[in-house]
Amino acid sequence: MEKILSTCGFCSCGCALYVEPRNGQIGSLCPSVSHPVSTGRLCFKGWHGTPAMLGSDRLRTPLIRKEGKLQSASWDEALDLTASTLKRVSSGTSPSSIGIIGSSKTTNEECYSLVKLARSVIGTPNIDGPCRFYEASLIHSLLGTIGVPASQIDIPSIPMAGSMLVVGANVMDQLPHIGSRVQDAYENGCKVIAADPRISRIKPQATLYFQPMPGTDLFWLRSLIKAIIAKKLYVDDVPQLLGFEELSASLSDIPVSLPGNIYGITADEIREAAKILAENRPAIIMFGLGVLQQHNSTQIVKALADIAILLGGKVLPLRGQNNAQGATDMGLTYDLMPGYEAIMVPEVKHRWESTWNCSLPSAPGKSAVEMIRACASGDLKALLIFGENVALSAPNTEESKSALDKVDFLAVSDVYLNETAQLADVVFPACSFLEKDGTFTNIERRVQRVRKVFEPIGDSRSDLDIIAALSLALGNEVSADPEQVAKEIAQYVPMYAGLSYEMLEKTWGKPWSIEAQVPKFAPIPAAEPEQNDEYPFHLIAARINYHQQTGSMSRQFGILKREYPESYAELSKSDADRLGVRPGKFVKITSKTGSLVRSVLLNDLIPVGSIHVPHYFGGDSPNALASWDSDLISGTPAYKACKVKVEAIR
Amino acid sequence: MSDLRAWILKKSDATTFFAALAGKMQLIAPKDYFQGDEMFSLVDSPHDIDWDYGHDIYPPKRFLLPHHEDMFRYRVGKSISIKDVPEVPDTAIIGIRSCDVKAIRFQERFFNTQIEDSYYKKRSDKTVLFSLVCNKPPKRECFCICCDAGPYLEDGFDVQLTDLGDRFFYEIGSQKGAEATNIGGYMLAKANAIDFAKRRSLELQADSLFKTVSYFAKAINFISANEVPNEVWEELGSTCFRCGACTNLCPVCTCFTVDDRLEVDGSYTRKRSWDSCQYAGFTREASGHNPRPTFGARVRRRFYHKASYQYVQRDGTHGCVGCGRCISACLTRLDMPTVIKRIRRSMHKYLEPQAKSVEVWK
Repeated sequence: MEKILSTCGFCSCGCALYVEPRNGQIGSLCPSVSHPVSTGRLCFKGWHGTPAMLGSDRLRTPLIRKEGKLQSASWDEALDLTASTLKRVSSGTSPSSIGIIGSSKTTNEECYSLVKLARSVIGTPNIDGPCRFYEASLIHSLLGTIGVPASQIDIPSIPMAGSMLVVGANVMDQLPHIGSRVQDAYENGCKVIAADPRISRIKPQATLYFQPMPGTDLFWLRSLIKAIIAKKLYVDDVPQLLGFEELSASLSDIPVSLPGNIYGITADEIREAAKILAENRPAIIMFGLGVLQQHNSTQIVKALADIAILLGGKVLPLRGQNNAQGATDMGLTYDLMPGYEAIMVPEVKHRWESTWNCSLPSAPGKSAVEMIRACASGDLKALLIFGENVALSAPNTEESKSALDKVDFLAVSDVYLNETAQLADVVFPACSFLEKDGTFTNIERRVQRVRKVFEPIGDSRSDLDIIAALSLALGNEVSADPEQVAKEIAQYVPMYAGLSYEMLEKTWGKPWSIEAQVPKFAPIPAAEPEQNDEYPFHLIAARINYHQQTGSMSRQFGILKREYPESYAELSKSDADRLGVRPGKFVKITSKTGSLVRSVLLNDLIPVGSIHVPHYFGGDSPNALASWDSDLISGTPAYKACKVKVEAIR
Repeated sequence: MSDLRAWILKKSDATTFFAALAGKMQLIAPKDYFQGDEMFSLVDSPHDIDWDYGHDIYPPKRFLLPHHEDMFRYRVGKSISIKDVPEVPDTAIIGIRSCDVKAIRFQERFFNTQIEDSYYKKRSDKTVLFSLVCNKPPKRECFCICCDAGPYLEDGFDVQLTDLGDRFFYEIGSQKGAEATNIGGYMLAKANAIDFAKRRSLELQADSLFKTVSYFAKAINFISANEVPNEVWEELGSTCFRCGACTNLCPVCTCFTVDDRLEVDGSYTRKRSWDSCQYAGFTREASGHNPRPTFGARVRRRFYHKASYQYVQRDGTHGCVGCGRCISACLTRLDMPTVIKRIRRSMHKYLEPQAKSVEVWK
């Protein structure tokens, strides 16, 4: 069989790989050498995750809940039932009692069509993506500062950095192709400053390694900005930029001598960091979910963007999912249309109304988190979920699951019968990225081709097919041809104007352009720290690098599963001694919303007073411990810096 | 053919020659892919062979030890059945490089001694290698010259081709090679003194063009005597991205894992896939105990297997052919020449940088 070139669907690096099918399975697989990201290399998930997409437990037929049980059904039955229910809800109450949550694993064409289905065919404003659970806090904060909610540099440029500040990101493990470039930069003499409550694998490369107390990033970052401004370490033209005075004024509570110790970081260390970043240009500012999932994430991202602007550096937000960039580009957010245009702006609304020949609701709808809560309150009568395992990725698992269970009608499209699909009334079997055509946009904004290697397994269909069929059943035609949809995207979404499949048959494509945006500063006012003595431990919930997303794709397969067969929790030895637990024994971890039981491993890379509970083994996830507390502006749940108590189980 | 080893195949005849061979067996040869990517693939016609290719990063060992291979299918329950899956056709791999020939010979020895691996043997018995020597190292990372694995081979090849411009210098090295030559043998002419001289001068020239070296001699001693300090292994391990590319893409590495896949019809397929000693799960025991619990321990294992005297004695050579794939495939710098260099430095205290504390990564 011939090798087919496609794009890896496991993280936002977007490696190009060749896949050779054999007997309906992957016969061989290797990276492209000439691709600017993969350069002949793949990470663990690239090598081993891809074959896992074709597991025998894949969904093969649609399922409908009959007499309380999910049972096989035909496509016609499943689509008819869904369409008639949606029509009934829409005319019975209103279209806005319908909600749709999309996925960053699906292609740009699918994300765009899903937005179109929600907003123009169904007429509901309630459309959101998984960005709400992960990285939504970077969108408005970066739009308002550097002007683009995306990376300002491409991956091959990282080794040219003079210095970098990496905050709240285990970049070496989670995005190995970026981690690899960080290592290259380090060997070229780049000075790395990293901040993470636990010691991560960037430590050997780090000149300075900060371990701030979880949830306190805003405090030390304000000090860092103060240090840069006070010593005039910024680039020359900065004081002329919009917002500089406001930024300076917003830091007036901080003494020029800086506070002596900010949750574990000393004034000397802050001054040293400011000096290193200013003296070693260009600086790259990277940050990951550790920053993006706090209760003041939007402010923290603004602070990081301010630092980048002060130093004339570049921002590289570390989005995780393979099409996280593309999904938000396509408007898979409740308040923005494709291309980050605010639905609230009348001109934008009118333009999209004439483009799609429909009438659009003018106010933003509900976010994904709000939709789940509206399922519980009864405000939402029907929820459609495409490819996101919401039951595990939403906070407060117990309440989330019961909300998903309670909503009158839940339809789920997924590759596997995951925890969310198990609660559904209708399940559509979707196919994986190996079985469809389309494009993904990687972390560098590079739009890349995904090509069909296999025919869809069983009766599964691509999400685009499902969206188009559902749309047709609702009386509107939406194209099921990815190339046709790509043409529409190129026509109506300005940043994708150059997109053409024909061009992508000849080149690797270019990152979409970030025209010379004039940056402006955001003021960073002081915030109050949270105190909670009832729950003395900080929960560090992080992904281990062998799993991806909620593990729905990665925990299925042999070698991936073998690395970490069981879930666990990690504690420092002194905490374990204090609690009287030995390795292998169990602890109960309780927050104000839920509790988990885990066996204990000792790891002195975990700071005293914190407990690390990795994600994605299925079953209960540390998200169960997170409450509905969210970043006020973006609505992203504050999964990080959750407070818990830990008790030994005798 | 007679006993004579050296012949000449005119390039203008090469397509006809291999077309004749294609009547008897499938041809696998380097092909051009997207944006200059080059890989070995089944070719429909000898016209598709990219004779000017450099190197395939995805080692041709995959045609004998497939990356993923269905071995047999079985059913349990009332009617138990078991059936072998692979149908192995006769195959010629054309254009394979000397290092990869040497690596395949290593693997054949490994899979055929003690307990014979019938899946491997069936493939290797039916595969004939037409190697194309490197007149110059195809890439910067090549160091086969340090491993006695190229650029030219003295023995171990089936057929060895050298590009002399308008013609191939055609050497037969085995019975299998001789048999495969018979098919188009009438197109060959005897090599003359000028051809021999030209080949020799190309060989000498190629020898001087290597950019990468690997100082095995001392490292083998240090590793065999277990003299490399543990901190050095842990320091190396601390940079590992645990992707497993070093072993996946090493043409010598043989490790695989087996998995039973449940099919939709209720039968099972026993499948084997490449595995890596760099994964914690590779050696973790059922009790949870792992004899190689840290990254450093696993990196040490890899180099111990590649370059310790114990294995040199058993296998007749160290486990590296200098193809350079571990250099280009590694997300960091855990490749053979760099690690060997680090080991060598560690044995000379005056070369060691100031000691820094090393985290041990599990």
